[in-house]
Amino acid sequence: MTEPTQTATFFDQHQRATVEAAMARVIPTDDLPGARQAGTVDFVDRYLSGIDYIYAKPDGSGFESLSGRSAAAWQRRVELARQKYTDGVRELDRLAQALAGEDFADLAETQQDQILTELEQGVENGPELAKPEVPYGIEPALQQTNAESELDFFPLLVTHTRQGFLSDPIYGGNRDRIGWQVIGFPGPASLAEVHSGQYTTLDYFADDPRHPQRQGQPGQEDRS
Amino acid sequence: MSTPVRKPDRVDVCIIGAGATGATAAKVLTEAGRRVVALEKGPWRTKETFGGDELANVNRYNLWPDPAQNPRTVRTTADEQAREELFCPVPQMVGGGTVHWQGWLPRFTPEDFRLRSIAGEVPGTTLVDWPISYDDLEPYYTKVEWAFGVSGQAGANAYEGPRSRDYPCPPMPQSRYAEKFHKGCANLGWNSFPTPQAALSRPFNGRPATVVSAFAQQHGDPSGTRSSALNVFIPDAVATGRYDLRPESYVRELVLDGRGRVRAAIYVDADGNTVEQEADVFVLAGGAIESARLLLMSQSGRFPNGLANGSDLVGRNVTFHEYSASVGTFADPINAWAGGGYVSASSFEFYNHDASRGFVSGGHIAAAGVGIPLPINWHLPGRPTWGAEAKKVDRELFNHSMAVAMVLHDMPQHDNRVDLDPDVTDAWGFPVARITLKTHDNDLTQGRFLVDRCGDILEAAGAATVDKVYPTRVTGNCSHQHGTTRMGTDPETSVLDANCRAHEVDNLFVVDGGPLPTATGANPTLTMMANAWRVADHLIAGT
Repeated sequence: MTEPTQTATFFDQHQRATVEAAMARVIPTDDLPGARQAGTVDFVDRYLSGIDYIYAKPDGSGFESLSGRSAAAWQRRVELARQKYTDGVRELDRLAQALAGEDFADLAETQQDQILTELEQGVENGPELAKPEVPYGIEPALQQTNAESELDFFPLLVTHTRQGFLSDPIYGGNRDRIGWQVIGFPGPASLAEVHSGQYTTLDYFADDPRHPQRQGQPGQEDRS
Repeated sequence: MSTPVRKPDRVDVCIIGAGATGATAAKVLTEAGRRVVALEKGPWRTKETFGGDELANVNRYNLWPDPAQNPRTVRTTADEQAREELFCPVPQMVGGGTVHWQGWLPRFTPEDFRLRSIAGEVPGTTLVDWPISYDDLEPYYTKVEWAFGVSGQAGANAYEGPRSRDYPCPPMPQSRYAEKFHKGCANLGWNSFPTPQAALSRPFNGRPATVVSAFAQQHGDPSGTRSSALNVFIPDAVATGRYDLRPESYVRELVLDGRGRVRAAIYVDADGNTVEQEADVFVLAGGAIESARLLLMSQSGRFPNGLANGSDLVGRNVTFHEYSASVGTFADPINAWAGGGYVSASSFEFYNHDASRGFVSGGHIAAAGVGIPLPINWHLPGRPTWGAEAKKVDRELFNHSMAVAMVLHDMPQHDNRVDLDPDVTDAWGFPVARITLKTHDNDLTQGRFLVDRCGDILEAAGAATVDKVYPTRVTGNCSHQHGTTRMGTDPETSVLDANCRAHEVDNLFVVDGGPLPTATGANPTLTMMANAWRVADHLIAGT
């Protein structure tokens, strides 16, 4: 397979600027970098480009080539997401024009936040943008993740922003591991470090690696 | 039915599924000299295909079944239209769920096998005693713990039944979240113990100690060092030379001979060809949902409502557990991603039945990360998902949060069932499993009680904040599934006999979670593997 490049994209220039601006409100820049610096728009642009970047090879040497039923399933999923982004950008601009007579990307951040909040709360009842039954779509997710194809545009945007900020840099976002640094995840140096079995988290375990031995409990007999 | 293009040689045993229980049965049967063909729907992946990729593994169905290919449908009652949902998924591949698990392997308690006698009748449920006892299973618990490789501390769980042997390896190292859990329990005077784990805390049986990665829960193991069916029992079976494991072989029907016994499994291979495999004995190990689905798809003149389903019980009494938690934040770092969030400590303090609590049974409580405590999928319940406040939560609490979680023991009910959806088909064109599931009041009451106790432990451990996530329904989020072919002594009220042989078909066995008459409140895979070993021993003795 091909090496990751920045050439595979889906958005036109305006769509890209709009999505980048919206993502910058989902994970804003404060005294630490945000979505803009991490390149989350590159992540989603690559995802929407087709099915050549769905699964990184586990050693980080490129991407898997999909075929058969898996390829068909991902092609449908990507096409669905493309439609949501295309419609979503149009809706952001429509709301922005109604609010301030400008496109979304040209608004002040507070105005952008206002529009995103409207979208989140489903104040506008556009057919593609009805309020989801499950707010944000990603809660409580205490054990299993949700199927993104069930998400409407705004929760999908939030989900992809988070994925682009915090997934392995091979997927085009989390540039220079910015996202991991922001939240304090030391992470492995690379996919290859995990793949080779070198990566361990034991340094982050309790100072005393032994579980407490309670009175009356037999110790472990050593049979080795 | 399309005509089979191939009919490979008849074998002693055909096992359908190569996950936790199919691999166990294969190991035991092949080591006893039986020739076994295993038909596994999914691929046979090697450790080289696994990696530390949260996006692929947790969010993009690299290991989870893709609902676009393998949908299921769900409804609450029989008069509703079912909706498509990724309900109670388990990886469909050689190794099954053990490929991506952290493997909490507690034993069930002696009381689990006789809860109906202990708790009495529970209205609206089909609660029963098991046809076997803890003592029947104890030797097999020990066999699995030693052959598979489990790390734990014998005697540390004050509520565990008698054991004939210690664990083969000492407990896994203590994570910070396990340390908090022990502290909280100690302050409350509650028993706690290192969670028995499908991992090696030291080299054992020619295998190296398990690599303690962050990419563990819901990730495959590129090091090949965890204790999984893929890493241990499959290689054991292959080493005998008598195990013919055929991946990407999707069994769509079991067909009968003139005497009403199963003659062959009809499957679709990777190239789309139809193949017919004959055997003396057939063992189902596809998981409680998929095994029930296969039986229901196997319709014949003798069994018009599905194989071995004269009682109309195949698929009924299904139980799933439910996973929920209290979530705490701490001033000092927890690093819940270390070990993937599930190298844990546990308590059975509220596991066995106590009538004074006002509900039946109880569940396993344990320390864990919040959900999948890795960067993308970590999220504190009730907190915003976007904007400045969400980023602040990420920055300040990602490393300072943990869950105390519980496994809810949901009650079996006659109308809770798996059947075939009349409208929805999978990517192969076969009808999918439809789940009809109504949550019993006992489940909700028990869930609230257990989540409150989870919160007590966090508070007693010094948490700065505690948020409780009460289960409001059974959502299938554990991947645990049981009861669809319950074992029992009476053909009127069970599908299988006490040795997991179908009452109505004497060369048909089921060894996955389907035979379990009740869910119990503990992670079931150790018990399922022990039971599969027991059934395999019975088969060897009888054939």
